[in-house]
Amino acid sequence: MPELGSYRSRILAGTIASAALGVLGFSTIGFGAAVVGESRKAEITQKAPSSLDALKAQYRRPASIPFPKDNPYTPDKAALGKKLYFDTRLSVSSAQSCASCHSPGFGWGDGLAVGVGHGMAKLGRHSPTIVNAAWSAIFMWDGRLPTLEDQALGPIQSPGEMNMKLDDLMARLASIPEYKPMFDASFPGQGMTAKALAQAIATYERTVVSERAPFDAWIEGNEKAIPEAAKRGFAVFNGKAQCAACHEGWNFTNEGFQDIGLPSTDIGRGEYLPGVIKMQHAFKTPGLREINRRSPFMHDGSLATLEAVIDHYDHGGVDRPSRSDLMRPLGLTAQEKADLVAFLKTLTSELEPTAVPVLPR
Amino acid sequence: MRTIALFTCVIVAGFSVGAYAATEVIHQQGRAFSSETISVKKGEAVTFLNDDTVPHNIMSASKGNEFNLGSQAPGTSTDVTFKEAGDVQVICAIHPRMKMMVKVTD
Repeated sequence: MPELGSYRSRILAGTIASAALGVLGFSTIGFGAAVVGESRKAEITQKAPSSLDALKAQYRRPASIPFPKDNPYTPDKAALGKKLYFDTRLSVSSAQSCASCHSPGFGWGDGLAVGVGHGMAKLGRHSPTIVNAAWSAIFMWDGRLPTLEDQALGPIQSPGEMNMKLDDLMARLASIPEYKPMFDASFPGQGMTAKALAQAIATYERTVVSERAPFDAWIEGNEKAIPEAAKRGFAVFNGKAQCAACHEGWNFTNEGFQDIGLPSTDIGRGEYLPGVIKMQHAFKTPGLREINRRSPFMHDGSLATLEAVIDHYDHGGVDRPSRSDLMRPLGLTAQEKADLVAFLKTLTSELEPTAVPVLPR
Repeated sequence: MRTIALFTCVIVAGFSVGAYAATEVIHQQGRAFSSETISVKKGEAVTFLNDDTVPHNIMSASKGNEFNLGSQAPGTSTDVTFKEAGDVQVICAIHPRMKMMVKVTD
Protein backbone atom coordinates (compact mmCIF):
# COMPACT_ATOMS: atom_id res chain seq x y z
CA MET A 1 0.00 0.00 0.00
CA PRO A 2 1.74 3.20 -1.11
CA GLU A 3 1.77 6.28 1.08
CA LEU A 4 -1.27 8.47 0.57
CA GLY A 5 0.79 11.43 -0.55
CA SER A 6 2.65 9.53 -3.23
CA TYR A 7 -0.55 7.77 -4.27
CA ARG A 8 -2.32 11.09 -4.73
CA SER A 9 0.64 12.38 -6.67
CA ARG A 10 0.43 9.39 -8.98
CA ILE A 11 -3.30 9.87 -9.46
CA LEU A 12 -2.70 13.55 -10.17
CA ALA A 13 0.10 12.72 -12.56
CA GLY A 14 -2.14 10.22 -14.30
CA THR A 15 -4.94 12.74 -14.47
CA ILE A 16 -2.69 15.38 -15.95
CA ALA A 17 -1.30 12.82 -18.34
CA SER A 18 -4.82 11.90 -19.37
CA ALA A 19 -5.61 15.57 -19.92
CA ALA A 20 -2.48 15.97 -21.97
CA LEU A 21 -2.61 12.71 -23.91
CA GLY A 22 -0.92 13.21 -27.20
CA VAL A 23 1.37 15.89 -25.83
CA LEU A 24 3.01 13.08 -23.87
CA GLY A 25 3.22 10.74 -26.81
CA PHE A 26 -0.15 9.06 -26.50
CA SER A 27 -0.43 9.17 -30.25
CA THR A 28 2.15 6.40 -30.45
CA ILE A 29 0.17 4.04 -28.21
CA GLY A 30 -2.08 1.51 -29.86
CA PHE A 31 -5.21 0.34 -28.07
CA GLY A 32 -5.88 -3.27 -27.30
CA ALA A 33 -3.29 -4.41 -24.77
CA ALA A 34 -6.09 -5.22 -22.34
CA VAL A 35 -8.65 -7.75 -23.56
CA VAL A 36 -12.03 -6.25 -24.37
CA GLY A 37 -15.03 -8.53 -24.44
CA GLU A 38 -18.15 -8.15 -26.55
CA SER A 39 -20.66 -5.51 -25.49
CA ARG A 40 -23.89 -6.84 -24.04
CA LYS A 41 -27.26 -5.29 -23.43
CA ALA A 42 -27.95 -4.64 -19.76
CA GLU A 43 -31.10 -3.84 -17.84
CA ILE A 44 -30.71 -0.45 -16.20
CA THR A 45 -32.89 1.88 -14.22
CA GLN A 46 -32.76 5.47 -15.44
CA LYS A 47 -33.20 7.99 -12.69
CA ALA A 48 -35.24 10.85 -14.12
CA PRO A 49 -36.10 13.80 -11.87
CA SER A 50 -39.36 13.01 -10.12
CA SER A 51 -40.89 16.47 -10.61
CA LEU A 52 -40.32 19.90 -12.13
CA ASP A 53 -39.06 21.11 -8.74
CA ALA A 54 -36.52 18.26 -8.65
CA LEU A 55 -35.38 19.20 -12.14
CA LYS A 56 -35.06 22.86 -11.19
CA ALA A 57 -32.97 21.88 -8.16
CA GLN A 58 -30.31 20.52 -10.51
CA TYR A 59 -29.71 24.07 -11.75
CA ARG A 60 -29.32 25.92 -8.45
CA ARG A 61 -26.40 28.30 -8.19
CA PRO A 62 -23.51 27.26 -5.94
CA ALA A 63 -22.97 29.17 -2.70
CA SER A 64 -19.28 29.91 -3.20
CA ILE A 65 -16.48 30.01 -5.76
CA PRO A 66 -14.09 27.03 -5.68
CA PHE A 67 -10.41 27.93 -5.43
CA PRO A 68 -7.73 25.21 -5.59
CA LYS A 69 -5.81 24.31 -2.44
CA ASP A 70 -2.49 25.07 -4.12
CA ASN A 71 -3.68 28.55 -5.14
CA PRO A 72 -6.11 29.85 -2.51
CA TYR A 73 -7.92 33.15 -2.84
CA THR A 74 -6.55 36.31 -1.28
CA PRO A 75 -7.81 39.84 -2.04
CA ASP A 76 -4.27 41.05 -2.80
CA LYS A 77 -3.71 38.21 -5.27
CA ALA A 78 -7.01 38.84 -7.05
CA ALA A 79 -6.28 42.59 -7.25
CA LEU A 80 -2.83 41.91 -8.72
CA GLY A 81 -4.34 39.40 -11.11
CA LYS A 82 -6.86 41.97 -12.32
CA LYS A 83 -4.11 44.47 -13.11
CA LEU A 84 -2.13 41.81 -14.98
CA TYR A 85 -5.27 40.68 -16.83
CA PHE A 86 -5.87 44.18 -18.21
CA ASP A 87 -2.19 45.05 -18.80
CA THR A 88 -1.26 45.14 -22.50
CA ARG A 89 2.43 44.95 -21.55
CA LEU A 90 1.97 41.20 -21.13
CA SER A 91 2.17 40.95 -24.94
CA VAL A 92 5.36 41.43 -26.95
CA SER A 93 3.73 44.30 -28.84
CA SER A 94 2.39 45.91 -25.64
CA ALA A 95 -0.87 46.15 -27.56
CA GLN A 96 -2.80 43.12 -26.30
CA SER A 97 -3.96 42.04 -22.88
CA CYS A 98 -5.97 39.05 -21.72
CA ALA A 99 -8.97 41.40 -21.88
CA SER A 100 -8.43 42.01 -25.59
CA CYS A 101 -9.91 38.59 -26.36
CA HIS A 102 -11.83 38.07 -23.10
CA SER A 103 -13.48 41.43 -22.57
CA PRO A 104 -16.16 42.22 -20.00
CA GLY A 105 -17.84 44.26 -22.72
CA PHE A 106 -18.56 41.11 -24.75
CA GLY A 107 -19.58 38.66 -22.04
CA TRP A 108 -15.86 38.06 -21.41
CA GLY A 109 -15.26 37.06 -25.03
CA ASP A 110 -14.44 39.34 -27.97
CA GLY A 111 -17.60 39.40 -30.06
CA LEU A 112 -15.70 38.09 -33.11
CA ALA A 113 -16.12 34.85 -35.03
CA VAL A 114 -12.49 33.95 -34.37
CA GLY A 115 -9.92 35.68 -32.19
CA VAL A 116 -7.33 38.15 -33.42
CA GLY A 117 -3.75 37.59 -32.29
CA HIS A 118 -0.27 38.98 -32.72
CA GLY A 119 0.05 41.33 -35.69
CA MET A 120 -3.76 41.39 -36.07
CA ALA A 121 -3.66 37.88 -37.56
CA LYS A 122 -6.88 35.89 -37.29
CA LEU A 123 -6.75 32.84 -35.05
CA GLY A 124 -8.36 29.51 -35.82
CA ARG A 125 -11.06 29.43 -33.17
CA HIS A 126 -13.61 31.58 -31.39
CA SER A 127 -12.39 33.19 -28.16
CA PRO A 128 -14.25 31.39 -25.37
CA THR A 129 -15.71 33.30 -22.46
CA ILE A 130 -13.93 33.12 -19.10
CA VAL A 131 -17.21 33.46 -17.20
CA ASN A 132 -17.43 30.75 -14.51
CA ALA A 133 -14.01 29.35 -15.40
CA ALA A 134 -13.58 28.60 -11.68
CA TRP A 135 -15.84 25.57 -12.17
CA SER A 136 -14.04 24.18 -15.23
CA ALA A 137 -12.31 20.82 -15.15
CA ILE A 138 -10.23 21.27 -18.29
CA PHE A 139 -9.36 24.22 -20.52
CA MET A 140 -9.26 25.36 -24.14
CA TRP A 141 -11.69 24.23 -26.84
CA ASP A 142 -9.61 21.08 -27.30
CA GLY A 143 -8.91 20.47 -23.60
CA ARG A 144 -5.15 20.64 -23.99
CA LEU A 145 -4.54 22.47 -20.70
CA PRO A 146 -5.43 20.97 -17.32
CA THR A 147 -5.64 24.08 -15.11
CA LEU A 148 -6.60 27.73 -15.29
CA GLU A 149 -3.05 28.59 -14.22
CA ASP A 150 -1.71 26.76 -17.29
CA GLN A 151 -4.31 28.49 -19.43
CA ALA A 152 -3.19 31.91 -18.18
CA LEU A 153 0.33 31.33 -19.50
CA GLY A 154 -0.73 29.68 -22.76
CA PRO A 155 -1.90 32.68 -24.80
CA ILE A 156 0.88 34.88 -23.39
CA GLN A 157 3.54 32.58 -24.85
CA SER A 158 1.71 31.51 -28.01
CA PRO A 159 3.46 33.05 -31.06
CA GLY A 160 0.10 33.57 -32.72
CA GLU A 161 -1.46 35.34 -29.74
CA MET A 162 0.57 37.53 -27.35
CA ASN A 163 3.92 36.12 -28.52
CA MET A 164 5.75 36.92 -25.27
CA LYS A 165 8.57 34.80 -23.84
CA LEU A 166 8.09 34.38 -20.10
CA ASP A 167 11.66 35.40 -19.23
CA ASP A 168 11.26 38.59 -21.24
CA LEU A 169 7.88 39.24 -19.65
CA MET A 170 9.14 38.85 -16.09
CA ALA A 171 12.08 41.16 -16.90
CA ARG A 172 9.64 43.70 -18.31
CA LEU A 173 7.40 43.53 -15.25
CA ALA A 174 10.43 43.83 -12.95
CA SER A 175 11.26 47.11 -14.67
CA ILE A 176 7.88 48.53 -13.60
CA PRO A 177 8.49 49.66 -9.99
CA GLU A 178 4.91 49.49 -8.78
CA TYR A 179 4.51 45.77 -9.61
CA LYS A 180 7.15 44.46 -7.16
CA PRO A 181 5.37 45.39 -3.90
CA MET A 182 2.15 43.86 -5.25
CA PHE A 183 3.88 40.54 -5.99
CA ASP A 184 5.59 40.68 -2.57
CA ALA A 185 2.24 41.20 -0.83
CA SER A 186 0.54 38.38 -2.76
CA PHE A 187 3.43 35.90 -2.83
CA PRO A 188 5.64 36.64 0.20
CA GLY A 189 9.20 35.42 -0.24
CA GLN A 190 8.58 34.06 -3.75
CA GLY A 191 9.64 37.04 -5.85
CA MET A 192 8.25 37.88 -9.27
CA THR A 193 7.92 34.56 -11.04
CA ALA A 194 5.92 33.26 -13.99
CA LYS A 195 4.21 30.83 -11.61
CA ALA A 196 3.08 33.69 -9.39
CA LEU A 197 1.90 35.64 -12.44
CA ALA A 198 -0.19 32.67 -13.57
CA GLN A 199 -1.63 32.14 -10.09
CA ALA A 200 -2.59 35.81 -9.78
CA ILE A 201 -4.31 35.94 -13.18
CA ALA A 202 -6.13 32.65 -12.53
CA THR A 203 -7.28 33.89 -9.12
CA TYR A 204 -8.76 37.02 -10.68
CA GLU A 205 -10.41 35.00 -13.46
CA ARG A 206 -12.07 32.74 -10.87
CA THR A 207 -13.82 35.81 -9.48
CA VAL A 208 -15.50 36.41 -12.86
CA VAL A 209 -18.84 34.76 -12.15
CA SER A 210 -22.15 35.23 -13.93
CA GLU A 211 -24.55 37.15 -11.76
CA ARG A 212 -28.09 36.19 -10.88
CA ALA A 213 -30.22 35.95 -14.00
CA PRO A 214 -34.02 35.80 -14.34
CA PHE A 215 -33.70 32.01 -14.59
CA ASP A 216 -32.19 31.88 -11.09
CA ALA A 217 -35.12 33.81 -9.65
CA TRP A 218 -37.54 31.41 -11.36
CA ILE A 219 -35.94 28.21 -10.03
CA GLU A 220 -35.98 29.80 -6.58
CA GLY A 221 -39.72 30.19 -6.78
CA ASN A 222 -40.56 33.49 -8.49
CA GLU A 223 -42.99 32.38 -11.20
CA LYS A 224 -43.10 35.87 -12.70
CA ALA A 225 -39.35 36.04 -13.24
CA ILE A 226 -39.42 34.53 -16.74
CA PRO A 227 -42.07 34.43 -19.47
CA GLU A 228 -44.26 31.39 -20.11
CA ALA A 229 -42.43 30.76 -23.40
CA ALA A 230 -39.16 30.38 -21.46
CA LYS A 231 -40.77 27.88 -19.07
CA ARG A 232 -41.89 25.82 -22.07
CA GLY A 233 -38.38 26.20 -23.49
CA PHE A 234 -36.91 24.81 -20.27
CA ALA A 235 -39.04 21.70 -20.75
CA VAL A 236 -37.89 21.33 -24.36
CA PHE A 237 -34.28 21.92 -23.29
CA ASN A 238 -34.48 19.06 -20.80
CA GLY A 239 -36.76 16.87 -22.89
CA LYS A 240 -37.25 16.62 -26.63
CA ALA A 241 -34.17 18.64 -27.62
CA GLN A 242 -31.86 16.78 -25.16
CA CYS A 243 -29.73 19.93 -24.66
CA ALA A 244 -29.26 19.00 -20.99
CA ALA A 245 -27.42 15.82 -21.95
CA CYS A 246 -24.35 18.07 -22.30
CA HIS A 247 -25.46 21.51 -21.08
CA GLU A 248 -26.26 20.36 -17.57
CA GLY A 249 -26.06 21.88 -14.11
CA TRP A 250 -26.06 25.50 -12.94
CA ASN A 251 -23.37 26.53 -15.49
CA PHE A 252 -25.02 24.49 -18.24
CA THR A 253 -22.03 22.33 -19.12
CA ASN A 254 -20.63 18.99 -18.03
CA GLU A 255 -17.28 20.02 -19.55
CA GLY A 256 -17.52 17.15 -22.03
CA PHE A 257 -16.19 16.85 -25.58
CA GLN A 258 -18.56 16.19 -28.46
CA ASP A 259 -18.50 16.35 -32.24
CA ILE A 260 -21.77 18.17 -32.87
CA GLY A 261 -21.47 17.86 -36.63
CA LEU A 262 -20.26 21.31 -37.62
CA PRO A 263 -18.79 21.25 -41.16
CA SER A 264 -15.28 22.15 -40.01
CA THR A 265 -11.94 20.48 -40.82
CA ASP A 266 -10.62 21.31 -37.32
CA ILE A 267 -10.27 17.99 -35.46
CA GLY A 268 -10.21 19.63 -32.01
CA ARG A 269 -9.79 17.09 -29.20
CA GLY A 270 -8.84 14.51 -31.81
CA GLU A 271 -5.35 15.98 -31.98
CA TYR A 272 -4.75 14.75 -28.43
CA LEU A 273 -6.71 11.50 -28.61
CA PRO A 274 -5.98 10.36 -32.17
CA GLY A 275 -7.07 6.77 -31.59
CA VAL A 276 -10.51 7.71 -30.31
CA ILE A 277 -13.03 8.10 -33.13
CA LYS A 278 -15.54 10.11 -31.09
CA MET A 279 -12.91 12.73 -30.28
CA GLN A 280 -12.32 13.67 -33.92
CA HIS A 281 -13.93 17.11 -34.48
CA ALA A 282 -14.90 17.14 -30.78
CA PHE A 283 -14.80 20.36 -28.78
CA LYS A 284 -15.49 21.24 -25.19
CA THR A 285 -19.11 21.92 -24.34
CA PRO A 286 -19.33 25.60 -23.34
CA GLY A 287 -21.51 26.85 -20.53
CA LEU A 288 -24.57 28.89 -21.48
CA ARG A 289 -24.54 31.65 -18.86
CA GLU A 290 -24.53 35.17 -20.37
CA ILE A 291 -25.12 33.48 -23.73
CA ASN A 292 -26.99 36.48 -25.12
CA ARG A 293 -23.81 38.57 -24.91
CA ARG A 294 -21.54 35.99 -26.50
CA SER A 295 -22.43 35.76 -30.19
CA PRO A 296 -21.27 34.53 -32.62
CA PHE A 297 -21.38 30.94 -31.38
CA MET A 298 -19.53 27.61 -31.64
CA HIS A 299 -15.79 26.86 -31.62
CA ASP A 300 -15.43 28.42 -35.05
CA GLY A 301 -17.84 31.32 -34.56
CA SER A 302 -19.78 30.02 -37.54
CA LEU A 303 -23.31 30.58 -36.18
CA ALA A 304 -24.34 34.18 -35.67
CA THR A 305 -27.56 33.81 -33.68
CA LEU A 306 -29.20 31.56 -31.12
CA GLU A 307 -31.82 30.75 -33.75
CA ALA A 308 -29.08 29.48 -36.06
CA VAL A 309 -27.63 27.37 -33.25
CA ILE A 310 -30.98 25.74 -32.57
CA ASP A 311 -31.54 25.14 -36.29
CA HIS A 312 -28.16 23.38 -36.39
CA TYR A 313 -29.09 21.04 -33.55
CA ASP A 314 -32.52 20.46 -35.05
CA HIS A 315 -30.89 19.42 -38.32
CA GLY A 316 -28.37 17.17 -36.55
CA GLY A 317 -25.21 18.35 -38.28
CA VAL A 318 -22.80 16.44 -40.52
CA ASP A 319 -23.31 12.69 -40.15
CA ARG A 320 -19.84 11.15 -39.75
CA PRO A 321 -18.34 8.41 -37.53
CA SER A 322 -17.08 10.92 -34.98
CA ARG A 323 -20.42 12.69 -34.57
CA SER A 324 -21.85 12.35 -31.08
CA ASP A 325 -24.45 9.61 -30.76
CA LEU A 326 -26.64 12.26 -29.16
CA MET A 327 -26.81 14.24 -32.41
CA ARG A 328 -29.73 13.44 -34.70
CA PRO A 329 -32.55 15.35 -36.38
CA LEU A 330 -34.86 16.53 -33.61
CA GLY A 331 -38.00 17.53 -35.48
CA LEU A 332 -38.55 20.64 -33.40
CA THR A 333 -41.56 22.80 -34.24
CA ALA A 334 -41.27 26.54 -34.85
CA GLN A 335 -42.93 27.07 -31.46
CA GLU A 336 -40.44 24.81 -29.67
CA LYS A 337 -37.51 26.62 -31.31
CA ALA A 338 -38.89 30.00 -30.28
CA ASP A 339 -39.47 28.72 -26.75
CA LEU A 340 -35.89 27.44 -26.55
CA VAL A 341 -34.57 30.88 -27.54
CA ALA A 342 -36.83 32.50 -24.95
CA PHE A 343 -35.45 30.15 -22.31
CA LEU A 344 -31.79 30.71 -23.26
CA LYS A 345 -32.29 34.48 -22.97
CA THR A 346 -33.23 34.05 -19.30
CA LEU A 347 -29.66 32.87 -18.56
CA THR A 348 -28.22 36.34 -19.12
CA SER A 349 -27.84 38.58 -16.08
CA GLU A 350 -27.61 42.34 -15.69
CA LEU A 351 -23.84 42.28 -15.47
CA GLU A 352 -22.32 44.99 -13.31
CA PRO A 353 -19.86 47.14 -15.26
CA THR A 354 -16.24 46.08 -14.74
CA ALA A 355 -13.90 48.94 -13.91
CA VAL A 356 -10.63 48.86 -15.80
CA PRO A 357 -7.86 49.06 -13.18
CA VAL A 358 -5.23 51.79 -12.95
CA LEU A 359 -2.09 50.01 -14.07
CA PRO A 360 1.31 50.11 -12.35
CA ARG A 361 3.96 52.45 -13.77
CA MET B 1 -18.95 -19.50 -35.64
CA ARG B 2 -18.95 -16.50 -33.28
CA THR B 3 -18.19 -18.82 -30.36
CA ILE B 4 -15.25 -20.32 -32.21
CA ALA B 5 -13.90 -16.86 -33.04
CA LEU B 6 -14.21 -15.76 -29.41
CA PHE B 7 -12.57 -18.96 -28.18
CA THR B 8 -9.73 -18.38 -30.66
CA CYS B 9 -9.30 -14.83 -29.31
CA VAL B 10 -9.11 -16.21 -25.79
CA ILE B 11 -6.44 -18.73 -26.73
CA VAL B 12 -4.44 -16.08 -28.62
CA ALA B 13 -4.66 -13.77 -25.65
CA GLY B 14 -3.40 -16.52 -23.40
CA PHE B 15 -6.38 -16.62 -21.06
CA SER B 16 -8.65 -19.38 -19.92
CA VAL B 17 -12.35 -18.92 -20.62
CA GLY B 18 -12.90 -18.70 -16.88
CA ALA B 19 -10.84 -15.52 -16.73
CA TYR B 20 -13.73 -13.68 -18.37
CA ALA B 21 -15.95 -13.97 -15.32
CA ALA B 22 -16.27 -10.36 -14.16
CA THR B 23 -15.41 -9.75 -10.54
CA GLU B 24 -16.02 -5.99 -10.38
CA VAL B 25 -18.79 -3.91 -11.92
CA ILE B 26 -18.16 -0.21 -12.50
CA HIS B 27 -21.32 1.88 -12.92
CA GLN B 28 -21.40 5.22 -14.71
CA GLN B 29 -24.57 6.95 -13.53
CA GLY B 30 -24.53 10.74 -13.33
CA ARG B 31 -21.31 11.10 -15.38
CA ALA B 32 -19.30 9.46 -12.59
CA PHE B 33 -17.62 6.12 -11.97
CA SER B 34 -19.08 4.24 -9.03
CA SER B 35 -15.58 3.72 -7.57
CA GLU B 36 -12.49 5.92 -7.51
CA THR B 37 -10.15 2.96 -7.07
CA ILE B 38 -10.53 -0.80 -7.33
CA SER B 39 -8.08 -3.68 -7.12
CA VAL B 40 -8.21 -6.75 -9.38
CA LYS B 41 -5.86 -9.63 -10.04
CA LYS B 42 -4.08 -9.92 -13.36
CA GLY B 43 -6.35 -11.81 -15.76
CA GLU B 44 -9.54 -10.83 -13.94
CA ALA B 45 -12.23 -8.88 -15.78
CA VAL B 46 -13.82 -5.58 -14.83
CA THR B 47 -17.32 -4.91 -16.16
CA PHE B 48 -17.95 -1.35 -17.32
CA LEU B 49 -21.72 -0.88 -17.24
CA ASN B 50 -23.18 2.26 -18.78
CA ASP B 51 -26.25 2.75 -16.63
CA ASP B 52 -26.21 6.49 -17.32
CA THR B 53 -28.51 8.45 -19.66
CA VAL B 54 -25.78 9.38 -22.18
CA PRO B 55 -23.04 7.53 -24.09
CA HIS B 56 -19.59 7.20 -22.55
CA ASN B 57 -16.21 6.38 -24.09
CA ILE B 58 -14.23 4.48 -21.47
CA MET B 59 -10.53 4.01 -22.18
CA SER B 60 -7.05 3.82 -20.75
CA ALA B 61 -3.65 4.75 -22.09
CA SER B 62 -1.76 3.07 -19.22
CA LYS B 63 1.14 1.08 -20.66
CA GLY B 64 0.44 -2.61 -21.06
CA ASN B 65 -3.26 -2.25 -20.29
CA GLU B 66 -4.41 0.12 -23.03
CA PHE B 67 -8.00 -0.23 -24.18
CA ASN B 68 -10.74 1.85 -25.78
CA LEU B 69 -14.38 0.81 -25.58
CA GLY B 70 -15.45 3.43 -28.10
CA SER B 71 -18.89 4.96 -27.73
CA GLN B 72 -20.75 2.82 -25.19
CA ALA B 73 -24.50 3.40 -25.34
CA PRO B 74 -26.66 3.55 -22.23
CA GLY B 75 -27.86 0.07 -21.36
CA THR B 76 -24.72 -1.76 -22.47
CA SER B 77 -21.89 -3.37 -20.54
CA THR B 78 -18.44 -4.52 -21.60
CA ASP B 79 -15.83 -6.62 -19.80
CA VAL B 80 -12.17 -5.60 -19.82
CA THR B 81 -9.47 -8.03 -18.70
CA PHE B 82 -6.16 -6.52 -17.63
CA LYS B 83 -2.99 -8.35 -18.61
CA GLU B 84 -0.24 -6.43 -16.83
CA ALA B 85 0.23 -5.68 -13.12
CA GLY B 86 0.28 -2.00 -12.23
CA ASP B 87 -1.92 1.06 -11.90
CA VAL B 88 -4.33 1.62 -14.76
CA GLN B 89 -5.78 5.13 -15.12
CA VAL B 90 -9.25 4.77 -16.62
CA ILE B 91 -11.03 7.80 -18.05
CA CYS B 92 -14.05 8.69 -20.14
CA ALA B 93 -12.79 10.48 -23.24
CA ILE B 94 -16.06 12.38 -23.50
CA HIS B 95 -16.41 13.46 -19.85
CA PRO B 96 -13.07 14.58 -18.38
CA ARG B 97 -14.34 14.60 -14.81
CA MET B 98 -14.71 10.81 -15.00
CA LYS B 99 -11.48 9.29 -13.73
CA MET B 100 -10.71 6.16 -11.76
CA MET B 101 -7.79 3.85 -11.01
CA VAL B 102 -7.70 0.09 -11.45
CA LYS B 103 -4.86 -1.44 -9.44
CA VAL B 104 -3.90 -4.69 -11.14
CA THR B 105 -1.96 -7.10 -8.93
CA ASP B 106 -0.06 -10.32 -9.71
